Amino acid sequence: MTQTTQATGHLDPDLLNAFIDGELSPTESNGIQQHLADCHPCALRVLSATQLKTATARAARRFAAPPEALARLAAQLRPQESKRTARSYSFRSVAWAGLAAALVLALSLGGWWQAHQANTLSAELLDQHLATLSSGASPEVLSTDRHTVKPWFQGKLPFSFNLPDVLPADTTLKGGNLAYLNGQPAALLLFTIHKHEVSVFLTQRSGSPIATPLPGTRSGFSIHSATTHDLRIVAVSDVNPADLDLLVSAIEQTQSPR
Amino acid sequence: MSSDTTSASFEQLALPLLPSLYSHAFWLCRNHAEAEDLVQETLSKALRAFDSFQTGTNFKAWVFRILRNTFLTSRTGIAASRTVFLEDHPDLLGTTDAGPTPEDHLISLNNQAAVNQALDQLHPPLREVLLLCDVEELKYKDIALVLDVPIGTVMSRISRARRTLHQLLQPQRGESL
Repeated sequence: MTQTTQATGHLDPDLLNAFIDGELSPTESNGIQQHLADCHPCALRVLSATQLKTATARAARRFAAPPEALARLAAQLRPQESKRTARSYSFRSVAWAGLAAALVLALSLGGWWQAHQANTLSAELLDQHLATLSSGASPEVLSTDRHTVKPWFQGKLPFSFNLPDVLPADTTLKGGNLAYLNGQPAALLLFTIHKHEVSVFLTQRSGSPIATPLPGTRSGFSIHSATTHDLRIVAVSDVNPADLDLLVSAIEQTQSPR
Repeated sequence: MSSDTTSASFEQLALPLLPSLYSHAFWLCRNHAEAEDLVQETLSKALRAFDSFQTGTNFKAWVFRILRNTFLTSRTGIAASRTVFLEDHPDLLGTTDAGPTPEDHLISLNNQAAVNQALDQLHPPLREVLLLCDVEELKYKDIALVLDVPIGTVMSRISRARRTLHQLLQPQRGESL
């Protein structure tokens, strides 16, 4: 892997871009991953470039097509059919058919948009989880004591949360970090379950009124989420889904005082 | 293929791309009415030229290329092409270690409004390549086809586009905290 790094010993910018854009061969990617494991500055550059990529995509999607325009364009795609219809049916039935088609299109686009949103979010979650694993850096607050971890977030987040008194078996709190998800501040809690790393993101629910349903798995990682009155809890890990669920529900239950 | 089957398979391929085509057209013309006209013209050109589309190649790249060429020959496109185009010279400046630490970017990126603004300010040819890569998720070789440039040019434009975005996001540092 002579081309992995430039003279400075760090990743060449073009190569870094090709890496985050998935343009490299598996061998080349492996070489880069090896470099990232040892080079903290480059790992952070990859993380920051990945986040910029996600943020760019989000910024670009601001201008969605108006449903009427899409309906007109979709109608244009089948000119033959509409001509035939116009000949044999009354204007009124054509108008109703058009309305129905527009409605179907609008509904399916709505579904497409939501699926798309969920995909972006789950990609972002996974990126952050992987970044935490690959950077090898210690969490900002490094403690297994919930009385240390929770107060650390005070003043850093516009919300508060509770941590469970008792964690499920073989589950350990490692520490916490600040993170941003969807442009919102989030508490990132790091756990291990049977030595598998788990990232748990807590965000304010009010900030994101549309709770996009997330896919349960992405690239072999499980993504589990729960919502309480004020918070949204999302956990990402490669541990088995049942254990991940136990942790998510433990956190969920401590949010509402019994 | 009979003309009916042709238009049916064309419809099948083009229908799912309408939202992408429209949104990309909007970024090119920055106007809703023009964007719709542009997509409309693109679709009719693409249908007429559909015989020349090679099955097995990337239809999305093929139709985006038609969209782009249609835009370039439109009035807005001709006006836009008169603006100075940056040359694709390789970057001589070392950019690896200069400037703020990546941690600063992690913070500034949480301000989506700043990112929106930075993308708006980006030089159109740089924005175009970034949209094809980050939003349309086309591979570099397909972007090269759409833009009709060598793949090395695609890579250097992507690098420059992202570096410019980083720089544009710099003054926002701290403001979002």
